[in-house]
Amino acid sequence: MKTARILLALPGLAALAYGIVLFLDYAAPAWPDSVTTLVWIGGGPIVNDAVFAPLAGVVGLLLTRVLPRPWRAPVQIGAVLTAVLGFLAFPLLWRAYGVPPKPGLHDGNTWLGLLVTLAAVWSAVLVASVVRIVRVRHRAARKIRSRARS
Amino acid sequence: MKRLAAAWRRLDARVTAAHAKVADQARAVEKRVPKSEQFKGGAHGERVTARVGSLLGIAFLICFVTGLLSHLIQHPPEWFFWPSRPVWLYRVTQGAHVLSGIAAIPLLLAKLWSVYPKLFERPLVRSVPHAVERLSILVLSGAAFFELSLGLLNVAQNYPWNFYFPQVHYAVAWAAIGSILVHVAVKLPVLRRALTRERAPVQQPGPGLSRRGFLATTGLAAGVAVLATAGATVPALRNVSGLSWRSDKGTQKLPVNRTAVAAQVTRVAQDPGWRLSVVTPAGTRQFTLAELRALPQTTVDLPIACVEGWSQMATWRGISFPDLLRASGSSPGVDVRVSSLEKTGLYGVSVLPGEHTADPLTLLALELNGEVLNLDHGYPCRVIAPSRPGVLQTKWVARLEAL
Repeated sequence: MKTARILLALPGLAALAYGIVLFLDYAAPAWPDSVTTLVWIGGGPIVNDAVFAPLAGVVGLLLTRVLPRPWRAPVQIGAVLTAVLGFLAFPLLWRAYGVPPKPGLHDGNTWLGLLVTLAAVWSAVLVASVVRIVRVRHRAARKIRSRARS
Repeated sequence: MKRLAAAWRRLDARVTAAHAKVADQARAVEKRVPKSEQFKGGAHGERVTARVGSLLGIAFLICFVTGLLSHLIQHPPEWFFWPSRPVWLYRVTQGAHVLSGIAAIPLLLAKLWSVYPKLFERPLVRSVPHAVERLSILVLSGAAFFELSLGLLNVAQNYPWNFYFPQVHYAVAWAAIGSILVHVAVKLPVLRRALTRERAPVQQPGPGLSRRGFLATTGLAAGVAVLATAGATVPALRNVSGLSWRSDKGTQKLPVNRTAVAAQVTRVAQDPGWRLSVVTPAGTRQFTLAELRALPQTTVDLPIACVEGWSQMATWRGISFPDLLRASGSSPGVDVRVSSLEKTGLYGVSVLPGEHTADPLTLLALELNGEVLNLDHGYPCRVIAPSRPGVLQTKWVARLEAL
């Protein structure tokens, strides 16, 4: 175990150091314009920890409180998929800094693609929930029948 | 003197009161901040973290290796060799680069949610090694978020920053993979415990997703993310992926990444006086378009595979490089510098390695999918070589130099 840890840590530290050298190669001559790059690097974890994660937690908690049991898991999964698809679509939809579309690139209908994909996801959520409801009812009915017989 | 002492006492009282108030507020905030043990969902705990983390590590490793390959092909050092066969090799490595990056987005979010309670552990810092570890994780997650969001924005060709994307993406990739390796080294005992422990402790079924449920959701999210975008490079998924950044509206059934207008070559490329210069040790030969058409023509099926992860198969027709080099008094297998009519931008010149100039599938193409090359695809002639990044398939060729 100790050898394995050393064998991982040493090249890791070397790669990290090389990355920092390469980054300084870029950032030092470009100073102070490269400050924004550091903001980009630091911004990810901060935005995640302060915005996305709490939001996801609160939405997840609300869904478990509000929804009846058979709906819970499918709707939660649907919500997760919606968020992920939203992230993927974002740079294709918000094009303030985008290059103009070219023949065959970024000239598709992303809104339509996103809506169709989400429709597929939520149809699956609906089907899964209905299947779960039917299953629960079945089980309950069987229990009642067996009780009536005895 | 008395007044000064009284003033000092007043100030002291005020500071003490303010101090007490701040401390009260801090306690009140602290009370409201969640405690790490209050996170009871199935997502939290080392068994989930280890599993999602392993997948994320694999995704980043694929990204790193394929990205490094792409970098080396574009900036080859002396020792580097990249084969020209199989023709789909670069298409696959770069497709894997972009798609494993896409899959890593939900994996990273899931991994960080799984360890989110640790953010609320008190005391914030227990010891110097603990402080170093927390700081190193900040570097790790910063680099990971940076690489994934940059990559995602780059495939969309959306640039809300002021730096040159490949340079910074490459530098931070080293920092990311390095800090991942260090992180794995630090967590190896936890990882082993979490992955090999025979039976999990009995989990109280909570109201939310169970541990298995969370893992399944994470896997599903990664799969859906890949499915929603992979049509950019996987032909079978072309009509499945709603969020692909390429469409089927390309000229001559092929996407165009740089148009003739953007490259400012519309006039020179259509000039009837255009000549291809081929410079070899034997001298310089000039070819008109008619002379090129009179040379033996080869037809090949080769994909264009862009660094941005999309790729498309096409049928090309033109003069194979071995034929062209022989016709110009040189021989196949020499490195050839290709210069474009394009004088703006970074991709006007490329070097075809000997491996590729010796391959009869490497063409100076005059036709694409049965038609004369469109202006946007490099009329009058362009390079198309097997297993090379699209940016090196130089268009509007004006000059070839045997090196």
